[in-house]
Amino acid sequence: MLTSDKIAILVLMIFSLQIFSSCTVEDNYIYEIKEQTILPVNSEKDKDKSNVQYISILYTNLFRKAMSPNDMLDALRAIESIGDKQIAFDILVSKYMNSDEVVLPTEEEMREDPEKFIRDTYKRFFVRQPTQAELTWMINYINSRPEVNPEHFYFAFATSNEHFHY
Amino acid sequence: MERRKFIKRAALATGGLISMPYILPSGLLHAQTTPQLAEHVVFVLFAGGVRQQEAVLQQYLAGSQNENIEGNIMYNMLVGEAPEDKIAYGRDDVQNNIIGAHPIDRILETPLELQGTLFPEVRFARGGAGHFNGLCTGVSGNYYPTQGLRNRPSAPTIFEYLRRHAGFKATDCWFVGHGIGGSRPLLNHSDHPDYGRRYGGNFLAPLVTFGAPGQKHFMDFKNYHPETDWEIIREIRNFLNNNFVAEGLEIPHLYNTPEEENQIREFVRHMFEKVKSNSVILPPVNDNRDLKTIGYAVEVLRYFKPKLLVVDLSDIDVCHSDFTAYLKNLHRGDHGVGFLWREIQRIPGMQDNTTMIVMPEHGRDMDPNPIQDLNDWYAYDHSAGNENTRRIFTMMAGPGIDANLKIGGPDNPIGDASDITPTIADIFGIKHQVEAAGLMDVNARSLFDRM
Repeated sequence: MLTSDKIAILVLMIFSLQIFSSCTVEDNYIYEIKEQTILPVNSEKDKDKSNVQYISILYTNLFRKAMSPNDMLDALRAIESIGDKQIAFDILVSKYMNSDEVVLPTEEEMREDPEKFIRDTYKRFFVRQPTQAELTWMINYINSRPEVNPEHFYFAFATSNEHFHY
Repeated sequence: MERRKFIKRAALATGGLISMPYILPSGLLHAQTTPQLAEHVVFVLFAGGVRQQEAVLQQYLAGSQNENIEGNIMYNMLVGEAPEDKIAYGRDDVQNNIIGAHPIDRILETPLELQGTLFPEVRFARGGAGHFNGLCTGVSGNYYPTQGLRNRPSAPTIFEYLRRHAGFKATDCWFVGHGIGGSRPLLNHSDHPDYGRRYGGNFLAPLVTFGAPGQKHFMDFKNYHPETDWEIIREIRNFLNNNFVAEGLEIPHLYNTPEEENQIREFVRHMFEKVKSNSVILPPVNDNRDLKTIGYAVEVLRYFKPKLLVVDLSDIDVCHSDFTAYLKNLHRGDHGVGFLWREIQRIPGMQDNTTMIVMPEHGRDMDPNPIQDLNDWYAYDHSAGNENTRRIFTMMAGPGIDANLKIGGPDNPIGDASDITPTIADIFGIKHQVEAAGLMDVNARSLFDRM
């Protein structure tokens, strides 16, 4: 039989053990975040395309076929004959847009599914998917501008800075 | 003395323009230190390597083919009687099958030599007498003894000086090239970090732009509406470009404003219409590339009225293999310069307000190579180290330029190939800024300071 003194001593021992154990110094962990540089999705495109590369890719993107070597040589000469390449490319694309052979989505296709149109256009010209911000801006633009058509988008993408780099 | 009088008059006329600091459109603080001598300058790089013997020395065949026939075949530019024998530099007599038998009629009643100032003996002082080196020296006031093709000039061009220090627009500055060969498309701006593409001039090689390549890839380009289609395209493109923000990674454009871009596109469209209707302005005789290039240069002058237009001619370089063709093209180069000067006087706003400067990019050898042409005349190269390649001339005419003045001579060379850049800077009132940049050859001086 346990006497009341023994019970008191046992309770005291258990209590003391809890106190001592709660005073044990634990390791102090500090969790930090490693610094990361967040770059835009197109940041690795830091090299200019040559005029040959640019014309070749442009032509394929617009006509979905390769350019003949003779046409390429003439297109290259035409581009080199104008100093401001933005103007030269604008004129070149304007010329190509006059051709019946340019393969463009229809305006109905663009308005039926703007997201698909934008994703396809980014993939065609920039070889990547749009970011959510880009996608949102583009869809809003389509929805808010009844006069915009696929040709405007193709022209802008084809003559943009990102399309000139890889 | 006449120059002093002119400066005094110009100073009064331009009044408050002098020494009034103002903010340029480019945002740079600028103080114009001297009055402008002219509103426009046309600089002709003439025309593919000229021997002094057939040019200012007027030796015709006497200085090259051991034939005692002298004479002046550049009578729009120089004073002197034409050769009287062995005429081979004109238009062909097709009926009688005589090459170059009919000299081209003069265009200018008064040769440019009498209208302006001639430096008959100028030095191409340093580096090899290569076309690109010579052209670079002409437009930048520096020499490039070690630079090869396919590199832009390392020193700023006159276009960059003018756009940066005088606040000129891109369409104020034009280089009209004979073609796209020989790295000509690289002459409209340098790679200098303080200048470069941001301040470049517009470049056009019209025989390519409006020739077969351009007709195939540019002609009949779609006419987008400037206020609807273009506005949309620019909005989308600006969004895309803003999301591609890496510094300097852009299509190599020349910072033409949107209005200037529209203007250039419309010029291209306008010119194609003229090509189709065969109404491009051309000199009376236009049977070589140089003369057609001059015609297009006049079209650029008419359309844009640029502050500075540089045009390079190159056809006389045929002298490497055909001396007769060289004489014909030298004669045609003179015809083209005469036509250019006449047409400038017909452009409202440029008439009596334009200075024209003519200078070969370098000379040619003293001794011939072994190649003979159909007249058994020997051809001439332009070889490194040949002293004759360093002999050139410079001529200028326009407001404030003394008429009928000749400075220097064979025994007293005055002037340097690097002088044109400071001279143009002087004409536009920014000589001190250009000199202060310290990027020209040590010999480069304004020709006005050599008078």
